[in-house]
Amino acid sequence: MTDQTGVLADVRRGMIPAHIYNDRELFELERERIFGRAWIFVAHESEIAKPGDYVVRRVLEDSFIVARDEKGEIRAHFNMCLHRGMQVCRAEIGNASHFRCPYHGWSYRNDGRIVGLPFHQDAYGGEAGFKRKGQRLLPAPNLATYNGLIFISMDPDAEPLEDFLGDFRFYLDYYTKQSPSGIELRGPQRWRVKANWKIGAENFAGDMYHTPQTHTSVVEIGLFREPKAEKRKDGCTYWAGAGGGTTYKLPEGDLDERLRYVGYPQEMVDRMKHSLSEDQLKVVGDDGFMISAASAFPNLSFVHNWPRVAESDDVLPFISIRQWQPVSENETEVLSWFAVDAEAPEEFKALSYKAYLMCFGSTGMFEQDDVENWVSLTNTAAGSMARRLLLNSRMGILEDGTEVVPALTPEQFHGPGVAHTGYGEYNQRELLNRWADHLERPVSTVSTVEVGGPAAGPAAAGTAAGAAPAGAPPNAVAPTAADQVRAQA
Amino acid sequence: METHSTRSVLGAHASRLQRVGATLPFDDERHLAAHRWLVDEAWLLDAQAYSDWLALLTEDIHYVMPVRVTTALGAGFDTSPGMAHFDEDWYSLSRRVARFLTEHAWTEDPPSRLRHHLSNVRTFATEDPDHLIVDSATLLFRNRGDVHEGSLVSAGREDLLRRTPEGWKLARRTIMVDDSVMRMQNLAIFL
Repeated sequence: MTDQTGVLADVRRGMIPAHIYNDRELFELERERIFGRAWIFVAHESEIAKPGDYVVRRVLEDSFIVARDEKGEIRAHFNMCLHRGMQVCRAEIGNASHFRCPYHGWSYRNDGRIVGLPFHQDAYGGEAGFKRKGQRLLPAPNLATYNGLIFISMDPDAEPLEDFLGDFRFYLDYYTKQSPSGIELRGPQRWRVKANWKIGAENFAGDMYHTPQTHTSVVEIGLFREPKAEKRKDGCTYWAGAGGGTTYKLPEGDLDERLRYVGYPQEMVDRMKHSLSEDQLKVVGDDGFMISAASAFPNLSFVHNWPRVAESDDVLPFISIRQWQPVSENETEVLSWFAVDAEAPEEFKALSYKAYLMCFGSTGMFEQDDVENWVSLTNTAAGSMARRLLLNSRMGILEDGTEVVPALTPEQFHGPGVAHTGYGEYNQRELLNRWADHLERPVSTVSTVEVGGPAAGPAAAGTAAGAAPAGAPPNAVAPTAADQVRAQA
Repeated sequence: METHSTRSVLGAHASRLQRVGATLPFDDERHLAAHRWLVDEAWLLDAQAYSDWLALLTEDIHYVMPVRVTTALGAGFDTSPGMAHFDEDWYSLSRRVARFLTEHAWTEDPPSRLRHHLSNVRTFATEDPDHLIVDSATLLFRNRGDVHEGSLVSAGREDLLRRTPEGWKLARRTIMVDDSVMRMQNLAIFL
C-alpha cells in the first residue's frame, strides 16, 4: 500500500492532489476507514411506515434489509442467509412478515429471528446439532436514527450518532423537522454516474461558486430567480459538526415574510415556528439566510430550492435528500429522494414534488449540468498528469490563512459552527479534512459471528466447526450459545 | 385498468381514455398513421429538434416515466409509490425544451449522439374516433465524447394520440423503463 501521508498533508493545506478523485488505492482505504466506521444513511422511517414494510439498501457491497418489525421497531439486518449465504431478500421494497431464503428454505421473521429451518431434526439432529432458538440474521453493527433518518455504522464501537453529527443537527432540522411529524420521503430515483463519490458531497457542502456558471441555463429560462452571481455571494456557507452547507440571502422582511418569500404557505410557517428552535428561526427571520444545499460527512447531501412550478411568478420550495453511494473509485450510484413535511397540505406536496422533478434527481435540470462536470473531472483525474497537479482549494483565505471575508459574528448568524459570506471553499476543505482524519486512522479488527457452531471455549478449542473429525455425529460437539461473537484470530 | 396517469402524483389533468378491442391490423389506416407519427417523432428526438417536438404535444399532455422497483412476485406493484423520473405537464416540458435552446445547457455541449430505435408498434382504437392508443418499444442509444462507453435505455411506451386540425398530437405518454437503476448519467433526453 502506498504511503498516503503526503496526500493527506496536501489535502489539509487546501491543495488537493487531483488523483484523489480517481484512485484505486485511496478507494480501498475509504472503504475500510470511512465506510467501515462512519454513520451511513440507509433509509427514512417514513419509507417503512407500517409493520412489515422493508427496503433493501447497501453500504458499498453490503446489502441490508431495513425493516419495521411487527412491534414497530426499526431493524437493519445483513441480507445474507445464515446457512449458505444466499441473499435472503431480492426485492428492494415491499411488506413481509417473513423472509424465506429461496435456496434451502430457511426463513426469518421481519425482526431477523430464524423461524423455519427445513428438516431441522433430520438434518442437524434438532437443537443438539444446530441451536435454532435465538438465531437471527446478522444485525447491522450499529443503528441509530435522527429525525427519522436511519443510519447504520459498520463499527460496533461507533460514537453515538448524535455526537457524530454534532452541531450539524441544527441545520438538519430545517430539512427534516418543519413540523412535529417530520418528513415523508418518496423515491429514491437511482442512477449510476461515472464520477467519484466525493465530488457530489463537496459540491453540495459548499460550492456556491459554481452556481452562476454551471446553472446559467435554469436562470435564463426563468425557472429559478436566485443563482445570479451577486446574490450567491451575499448568502453564507456554514460548517458545524459533521456537515456544512450553503444559504441564500433573503430580501428584507420578518420571519413570516421571509418564509413566504420562498413559497411556504402560512400554515406551514406557523408549524415551523413551533417546531424549530428560537435560534433556528433567527437564522431566517433576523439574519436573513435560507438554507439551500448541504452535505453531512461522508456521503449524504440535502438541497432546498424554490423554483417556479407554473407560468406565474410564484415559487414553491422543495427538499431533496441524496446519497452518493460509492461503487468504485470512478463510479457512484446516486440515490435521490424527494422529501416533504408530512403535515404539509396535499396541494403543496404535489407542487413541491413537481419542483423537485424539474430541478434535481435523474431528470432535474440543475442536476443534469452538475453530473456532466463531475464525470468529466473523474475521467481526467485518472492519469499520470493528474498526479502532478495539486488543485487549489483555498478559496476564501490568503496565503497566510487570513480570511478574505471575516467569519460572521454570533449577532450576524445565530447558527452554530463557523459561517462566512462571500465566495469560499471553507466547507470543501472541512469535508476533505474529515476525509483525511478517517483515512489516517486504522479501524479496529472486526469481529466474526458464528452461526450455531460448537462452543469456542478451551474445551472445544481443537474442534472448531470446520475442523470436526469427519463422520463425527452432529451432536458430538456441544452447541455454542447463540450469536456468539469472537474476535477474529 | 387504471392508467399510470391516474396513479401518478401529477396526472390528474390527463385524459383517461383507454384502448378498446384487439390491435388494429397492420394495414389499417389508423395503424399506418400512428406508426408514421412515431417514426417521425423518433427522428425529431434523435436530431434534438425539441421545438418541433414540443409542437407535437397537446396542451393537456401528461408525460410520465415511473421509477421501476424490484418487488416480490405478487407484491402488486413494480413502480416506486409516488415517485417518477418524469411526471410532466406542458409547462415543465416547455421549460426543459427552453433550457436545451439556451447556450448554457452544458450537459448537451458538446451534444450527445442519440438514436431512438423503435419497434413493436401496436395500435388500438378507443371509444373516441379521434383518439388512438399506441404501444411501442424504444431503445435509446446515447453516446457522448469520443471514448466514453455509450449508454442504453430500454423502455415500453403507451401513447395516446389525438387527431387535431394540425394533425396527430401526443396527449399522454407512459414510459415503462426496463431499469430500476438507470445506467445513464442523466436523463437530459426524451423517450
